[in-house]
Amino acid sequence: MGREWNTPRVVRNILIAVLVFFVATVIGYAFDAVKFPDTNIVIVYLVAVLIIVWITKSFILGLIVSVAGTFAFNYFFAAPRFTLEVNDSNYYITFISMILTALATSLLTTRARNEAQRAHEAEAETKAIYMLTNQLIDAEDMDEIVGISLNSICEGLHCDAGLLCFDENGMPEDTYVLKIFGIDNHVIRRETEEAAKIKYQIEHITGTYNNSGEFCDYPLYGGDRVLGIIRLKKEDTIKLSNLQRSLLHSMVDSIAIAMDRLLTAKQRMESLNEAARERYRANLIRSISHDIRTPLTGIIGTSAMLEDALKDDVYKRELAASITADAEWLHGLVENILNMTRLQDGTMKLKKEKVPVEEVIGGAIGHVFANNPTADIDVEIPDELIMIPMDPKLIEQVLVNLLGNAIKHSDEGSPILIKVYKEPENVVFHVIDSGEGVIEENLPHIFQSFYSVEKPEIKVDRGVGLGLSICETIINAHGGTITASNRTDRSGAIFTFKLPLEDQNE
Amino acid sequence: MSEKILVVEDDRQISNFICFTLKAEGLDYVVAGGAEEALERISSDSPDIIILDLGLPDYDGKEVIRKVREWSEMPIIVVSARDREEEKVAALDLGADDYLTKPFSATELMARVRVARRHLRAVCKPQTYAVLSVRGLKIDLEKGIVHLDGNEIHTTHMEYQLLSYMFRNIGKVLTTKAIIREIWGPGYGTDTQALRALMACLRRKIEKNPGKPEYIITEIGVGYRLLSE
Repeated sequence: MGREWNTPRVVRNILIAVLVFFVATVIGYAFDAVKFPDTNIVIVYLVAVLIIVWITKSFILGLIVSVAGTFAFNYFFAAPRFTLEVNDSNYYITFISMILTALATSLLTTRARNEAQRAHEAEAETKAIYMLTNQLIDAEDMDEIVGISLNSICEGLHCDAGLLCFDENGMPEDTYVLKIFGIDNHVIRRETEEAAKIKYQIEHITGTYNNSGEFCDYPLYGGDRVLGIIRLKKEDTIKLSNLQRSLLHSMVDSIAIAMDRLLTAKQRMESLNEAARERYRANLIRSISHDIRTPLTGIIGTSAMLEDALKDDVYKRELAASITADAEWLHGLVENILNMTRLQDGTMKLKKEKVPVEEVIGGAIGHVFANNPTADIDVEIPDELIMIPMDPKLIEQVLVNLLGNAIKHSDEGSPILIKVYKEPENVVFHVIDSGEGVIEENLPHIFQSFYSVEKPEIKVDRGVGLGLSICETIINAHGGTITASNRTDRSGAIFTFKLPLEDQNE
Repeated sequence: MSEKILVVEDDRQISNFICFTLKAEGLDYVVAGGAEEALERISSDSPDIIILDLGLPDYDGKEVIRKVREWSEMPIIVVSARDREEEKVAALDLGADDYLTKPFSATELMARVRVARRHLRAVCKPQTYAVLSVRGLKIDLEKGIVHLDGNEIHTTHMEYQLLSYMFRNIGKVLTTKAIIREIWGPGYGTDTQALRALMACLRRKIEKNPGKPEYIITEIGVGYRLLSE
């Protein structure tokens, strides 16, 4: 039974046994006086054994008193009285029956007592776990969970308990919380010592807990990481009964679940907030861009007309022309920002359809000619009809940006070539100009966004930065690649992008 | 004959810009700042062409198209700051003739107005001649023959259907939906694949360089247009 030897209790039990036997003997004498048969006296002794076992809950004492009762009956009532001898051999049968009955009685009684006790304890455990879980469900933050957990462990196990939380990186926090048994509603915060050692021990744990030091550490697991540990003094854990141990394990599980739930909810909340902020930011940029477009229409239109009206005054016409050019540049920037935000916040899903190569090129050239009527753009595409899965509007934007870039970096009217050919799995687009080309050391960074987080200091080179970086974003979203190089036959840049012939997502 | 143009635009600067352009071309115009006012103007001033902004303060500009189309075929040019193609396509499918995306230049605006005026005249004087032509490309609707620079070119039945539909709506943007309905009939759905392939075949016959079309240009995400000039 695991219960240790306890002298005062043994003495008390013996006194009880003696007292009960004394009373039984007195009653026996009373029965004898009124000439009741011996059987009734035997029954009185059996009742006495039962009472002793019930009160003392001791099976060993039950054995002793079963035998003692038989001897007492023999000594006090079986003729010749006050000796352990018997005249009538029939009494032997009575004695044996008496011992067996007494033994059976004490055995059944102790078992019933033990089971009642166990049921009681199990009920207490269930209740404690229930209370703990109930309270944990209502807990709103980690501090509350820690407080409730420590209280339950202290009260349930009658010992001191500590709880150390681990942060998201799996490192023990700087302080832990300690509750001393017997001091109501009072927790102490202490500094964590040897955090690295604790972390190491918990990560290399073999059983359900770690007991390598003077403490026992019970890890709290949530998902795939350790959320914290519950720490008890080793001397306290040794004293725990099996039932208390299982109670502790149930509590550890409940606490871990509660902590995990809280952290998951917190993470979900944070990612929701993050998404909302991102959406808000993108919406803001988008609505500003939209609002910029309307006045831009007025500026571009009016300055173009002014240019026309000032045909005869070269100086004033140049001024008007530079207003138009700047406004058009601004317009291009706004379009690119709009596309960029839509791609980045994920609201623009690629609307892929199989589009003939010539359509998207024709569309792009049309756009470019509207603003640069003097541009000399030639197109070389295979006769074969090539259909590519793409979002035509976005690929058109890529071509518009690359053509705009080519025009900007070459002399007016110098030839620009769009060349397309098929590879086994890709379609290759070249935009080749005859301008000054790209400075070699700039080639690797040419697609970097001017507002990329890593390099905020990169300035917008008049639309180049954003224009090219959105090209990269769009081409990457299509599962393609984009590169820049210089011509080898003469000065000029070559921008090349490849789009896969088959949709990889299907 | 000088047509009267109704400009429906709530933004003062843009409305000024449009009016100034129209005035420079010697065209007559009236201005409305909202949908309600536009409808009033239509009944009181009986304009011939409408330049309509879709984002109006009182109603969606599309409502104006719907109302006008109940009784009139007058050309409607839609002006929109919205870059959403669906918006333009919806307006075109409701019966708008053309669109301009902000910001646009005076040249673009006038090109659209010219097409609209030509259409207006065509509506006034019903077509009697069966031969239509543009820059060397000629279609004989009676005989069903296509000529390019004087040489007859062979077209399939579908290609001829497509080209004749484009010719009958020369200068106008035709949405893919409208073309599909015309050629394959209603109930064919909105599968644009077949139309794209058909257009590619036609282009290989009439365009010198399909990548740089001179006749039929693609309005990405919207439809196609046979250039009239």
